[in-house]
Amino acid sequence: MKVVVDGVELDLPAGTSAIDAVFQSGGDVPYFCAHKYLSPVGACRMCLIESGSPRKNPDGTFVMEGEGDAATPKIFWFPKPMASCTMQATEGMHIRSAKTSEVVAKAQAGMMEFTLLNHPLDCPTCDKGGACELQDRAFEYGYGASRFGFDRRHADKHYPLSKYVILDQERCIHCKRCVRYFEEVPGQEVLDFIERGGHTFIDTEEGGLPTGFQGNITDICPVGALLDNVARFRGRNWEYDHTPTTCTLCPVGCSITVDARNGRLERIVAGENRDVNEAWICDAGRFGHSFASHDRLTVPLIRGADGQLHAADWDAAITAINRGLAGQNMDDLALYIGADSTLEEGLALESLAELTGTKHVDHWPRYEVNITAPAATLTDVATADLVVVIGADLGEEAPVLELRILEMLRGGLLPAEFDHGTAIADLRLIERPVRKPEKLVVIGQESGLWKHAGTRIPANGLSGLTRLATPDTDDLRAALKALEDAKAPVIILGADALNGASGSFASTVASLASRTGAKVMAIPAGPNSRGLAALNLVPRRGGLGYAQLAQAPAAFISRLDPGVKARGFTVVHDTHLTSTAQLADVVLPALTNYEKRGTTVNLEGRLLGLEQAALSSGEAADLIRTLSALAEALGVKAKVRGLRGAQTLAAAKFGLKLESVPPRGVIHPLPTATTAPTGQVHTPTLWTERMQVPRGDSARAEHINSLIGMELPMTAVQPGGDD
Amino acid sequence: MTYFADKQPLVADIFSRYPDSPQGRRSALMPLLREVQDAEGFVSELRMAEIASLCGTTATEVRSVMSFYSTYHTVPTGRYHLQVCSTLMCALKGSDELWDELVTQLDVQPGEVSPDGRFSVQKVECLGSCGTAPMMQINDDGYYENVGPAKCARILESLRHDLQPLPDNLVPVTITADGRQTLASGEVVGTSITGLTRLPEHAGGDV
Repeated sequence: MKVVVDGVELDLPAGTSAIDAVFQSGGDVPYFCAHKYLSPVGACRMCLIESGSPRKNPDGTFVMEGEGDAATPKIFWFPKPMASCTMQATEGMHIRSAKTSEVVAKAQAGMMEFTLLNHPLDCPTCDKGGACELQDRAFEYGYGASRFGFDRRHADKHYPLSKYVILDQERCIHCKRCVRYFEEVPGQEVLDFIERGGHTFIDTEEGGLPTGFQGNITDICPVGALLDNVARFRGRNWEYDHTPTTCTLCPVGCSITVDARNGRLERIVAGENRDVNEAWICDAGRFGHSFASHDRLTVPLIRGADGQLHAADWDAAITAINRGLAGQNMDDLALYIGADSTLEEGLALESLAELTGTKHVDHWPRYEVNITAPAATLTDVATADLVVVIGADLGEEAPVLELRILEMLRGGLLPAEFDHGTAIADLRLIERPVRKPEKLVVIGQESGLWKHAGTRIPANGLSGLTRLATPDTDDLRAALKALEDAKAPVIILGADALNGASGSFASTVASLASRTGAKVMAIPAGPNSRGLAALNLVPRRGGLGYAQLAQAPAAFISRLDPGVKARGFTVVHDTHLTSTAQLADVVLPALTNYEKRGTTVNLEGRLLGLEQAALSSGEAADLIRTLSALAEALGVKAKVRGLRGAQTLAAAKFGLKLESVPPRGVIHPLPTATTAPTGQVHTPTLWTERMQVPRGDSARAEHINSLIGMELPMTAVQPGGDD
Repeated sequence: MTYFADKQPLVADIFSRYPDSPQGRRSALMPLLREVQDAEGFVSELRMAEIASLCGTTATEVRSVMSFYSTYHTVPTGRYHLQVCSTLMCALKGSDELWDELVTQLDVQPGEVSPDGRFSVQKVECLGSCGTAPMMQINDDGYYENVGPAKCARILESLRHDLQPLPDNLVPVTITADGRQTLASGEVVGTSITGLTRLPEHAGGDV
């Protein structure tokens, strides 16, 4: 399809919207209401362009202009500028943006004037300042002056829609992004326009926004109307150090940007990764970050003669470990790490375990089963024609996976991709999309996904899968039939199905998958369980697993909080003084995953990179450096002493190129996962205790509450005043 | 206490007018709102939630639709809801004076109901009777036209005794199958698609 934009001819795929045609040509169109993953509606009227098309005679030939060979099809222009986000580019269409059309430039400046008619000029105090699309576009495309000399309309400021989201009704420009988001993405119609005309405002009648994915509206609001209450009044956009990295609270591995200021983590916003989280993250990922800058351990602690922990430096800590482990065999030291450690850290641990010869190595949480069926990606889930979810509570295990399933229910339309990125307005996305609940089968206990499913079959534990493989009720028979008939089905296995599962479970899954052609997504227990399981980080023959920690002669525990210590000398490496750390003999300060470089493996098997945000963490060290220190205390020389060493080892051992993982991640076949009994049940909880309340910060919570009820000091309204 | 619990035939009748699909159920929102409003004078939050569950939608959407139309009320109205047209033509002919007279005489403001429960007032956009401005509408009963001070006083006096004077024009105007409009009084007005009156022959020369 040939389209001419500002005089440049482009070859575009059919169905492209006019706004994407302009962006594809390298041009620019201002817009507020269009969003990559939402339906285009043409609400803001800012993306104006001039457009015209050739017209055909009754005999099928084009109406021509010009004489002889110079004749070209005559372009019939629309008499006025049109919104480009809702207009489809067609064969032979001509488009003029503000770059070449004065009409468009003038219309856009006029529209800008109109949008700013009632928008308060809060920019110096508004938290969106510096990241406000309205501010930027007013600067680029506005007149810089207004002809409306009357007072602006006033409405509620600091209107809490929920604990986390604050609405400023005055600043809302009615782009309807948040309304469409709730309707189309999580499928919850809890926001809508109330009143009409000049009085319209956004509100909910449900008594607040549903927890789960509400924070995303603060990202997509193009003005400062919807603000993240956790980050409000903490800093301005240009003051933050933005670090694009990967969230490691759950195995999805969403792309996020960590905003730090003065060494404190102040805000997390969603990043775009088309293959993983599109543009959405869950509320835990967005609002649960305050632990990263609260009550951190910044120096090593050593238990003194008085039985108390005392601050010390690393040298003293190494000496203390050396003294504490004196007389003990090196292979007595058990090594346990949290399952959100990076691959590089896992490799360092594995090489140290080899060096000391310890049998007691483990990571937690994990399951003891290795699913060998073909693995599904998140895109497979979104474009499947049937998804069977067995024993999963996605709200706790992998929230964004739930969004991808809901995306599948509304047709699995993934916006096209252009040179400028994801299509800004994909015309196939429509408002109030028809959902097909019959494409979703949920087997297990009631969860957030339950109400979206066409078939709901209550089941417990491992029984869900076996009952599906050999159905005993009509519902299950129908579900199996649907699975067999489907062309691209996906089976998702959650904690309830995987806890305690064994080899026979894996073979049932494999045979069911090969019989039905289904791909399988087994949600790993921990954010990087999948990667760590590939590194042999499980108890060797005769070794003590994490569940037998209390029996270990001595232990090194990194970022795990079992609440017990080993039989003998215990070293804890953690970010906070947890209950386990309080029992330890030596406590070493650790880095959170926001401050680490490394690689994790998400639930698809996708390698995703972590980047280091500028957070102040004192003398805290990541696991690789801590293990080298531990090796020093043990009197051996660690093979892996840094990130580079770990990456070299990964390349040598598994052929993994960890140093060049692209921003969108890459799916790389991992070595076969090693398994061993776990001896305990893993209950997934997304919001851990320390994420729930910003500890020691009740003063700040009170301060925010006082601001919500605050009346701004307004001077008396002056009729006809010029503001 | 639910409103529709004991009105199942009515609910079934309303739903029968729309396709039997999730979208169809949502379309029944407006008649359900009208039903509650006619019975109770306004639609409370409780009723919004009830209608939402009937239509398979959320209370937010019910409120959104409802708040779009000024004929639905979220606050209680009096037995006589006086709506004064305040758009240009009526304003030029003295609707402001009529409004002032009403709020002074009745001592109610928009959103309030007079202590005896009789009166509530509202300014509304064009009621489409510019030729007889200023005018007002009482409930859904009809148009009271050319309401000057004397007529206003007369109307209020009768309403205080619960004797509502007949409106000058009855609404709604119903339209029959052939497109013919009839007033509520039965009087035929306008024209229809089948019974077009013949226009007089064009008297002039070529156009």
